[in-house]
Amino acid sequence: MWLLWAVIAGSVSPASLADDRGADRIALERIARGDHDGLAALYDRHARPVYSLAFRILQDQGEAEDIVQDVFAQAWRQAAQYDGSRGPVAAWLFTLTRSRAIDRLRARRVRPGHTADESRAANLVDPGLAPDLQALSAEQVGRLRVALESLPALQRAAIELAYYEGLTHVEIAARLEQPLGTIKTRIRLALGKLRDSLAGTI
Amino acid sequence: MTADEHEDWREQAALFVLDALPPDERRQFEAHVAGCVECAAEVRSLAAVPTLLARAAPQIDPPQALRRRVMESVGGAPPHHAAAPAGSRLIGAVPWLAMAASLALTAGLGAYALQLRTRVGDLEARLSGALARAAAGDRLIADARKAAADAEFRVAVLAAPDLARIDLAGQPAAPQAAGRGYWSRSRGLMFTATNLPELPAGRTYQLWVLTAQTAPISNGWLVRPDANGRVAAIFETPVDLPRPTAMAVTIEPDGGVPAPTGAMYLVGRPAGS
Repeated sequence: MWLLWAVIAGSVSPASLADDRGADRIALERIARGDHDGLAALYDRHARPVYSLAFRILQDQGEAEDIVQDVFAQAWRQAAQYDGSRGPVAAWLFTLTRSRAIDRLRARRVRPGHTADESRAANLVDPGLAPDLQALSAEQVGRLRVALESLPALQRAAIELAYYEGLTHVEIAARLEQPLGTIKTRIRLALGKLRDSLAGTI
Repeated sequence: MTADEHEDWREQAALFVLDALPPDERRQFEAHVAGCVECAAEVRSLAAVPTLLARAAPQIDPPQALRRRVMESVGGAPPHHAAAPAGSRLIGAVPWLAMAASLALTAGLGAYALQLRTRVGDLEARLSGALARAAAGDRLIADARKAAADAEFRVAVLAAPDLARIDLAGQPAAPQAAGRGYWSRSRGLMFTATNLPELPAGRTYQLWVLTAQTAPISNGWLVRPDANGRVAAIFETPVDLPRPTAMAVTIEPDGGVPAPTGAMYLVGRPAGS
């Protein structure tokens, strides 16, 4: 994964998010000095989207909590090594979160007895809860929503299976019963559309 | 590298960014992108998309106790100033409150709707696959049922107590052709033939039953040979059909005719008559 970060090192932070990113850097510097308040600050800024992502992937409250604990513990250990040129701190935390959650999901798949309590999961999703306004403006949330919603169902399903379920292209093709070439093309199209519609907002 | 090959790498770039490559393909792509400016630019341009997908998850507040658990896990005392709940930062900014609430509701509903839509899309895709398989299965079952019913029909005809067998001989139009009809008043008519010439477009063979009392009867008994000139057909017969004195096959316009008009290809009389 380090290579990906090296590759995206050229990303430029838009000015609108510079303050948020500055706050993240300060929090990481404090953590690096062993200051627990730095971790508290980082937690307060990112726990909600991190927890939401873990829950989206695992559909299990207890497991999502474990992931959040692991991710912030890792941030605590690795803050000193964090290289700001790698990209936004939030992106780093999301990558850690997804990777750990997908690992759990895969481990769960080889234990077929386990099934998530879907009704409980659905009930926990409160449509009235506030989005992470601090990190993503309402306009950005809106554009993101529109871009995702306007994807054809197959493209959206393919992307969701990859990102939220950690399936490879071959597994996605099998799950959606589509030729592999079709899946590859659709994923590329969908990512391109998301990138284009959101250009300059992230 | 050809343009096509590079198009393949670009597809790999999207899969790489989405972490959808199996380990071996991931390593190959990493090796490639290390030396390819274009692919590195492609990866860079797509790199923000996973962050968007992370943000697209429906937002839920973690339990309050989790913060204490996290802090304790790194050996930290619970922070003196307990963290304000996410929403309460807005208190004091009264003019913003209504707008924030409205934005929150819109965005929250949107995220929820997105999650539902995604699920629906996924389920639709799976359903259409399942329906296609079910339809294919239904067709197989229908074909098998028909084959079984046909076989049963043939057995019934052949086992009929009133079975009459009629051998048909090729006529000058088709000297190599031969046919055989099995007729039972109660159970129906079975007809087989070999070496029937290929039909011209717009034409069909039609089977006729001749009786002593009536004009030639063909109850829509059209026969089409397969590529090898073979026919194996079964037909229902009217119960009031008199005992056949002969059977014949003629060539007729597509769809058949009420009375024979075309050349005779096969004709024969009941055995023993």
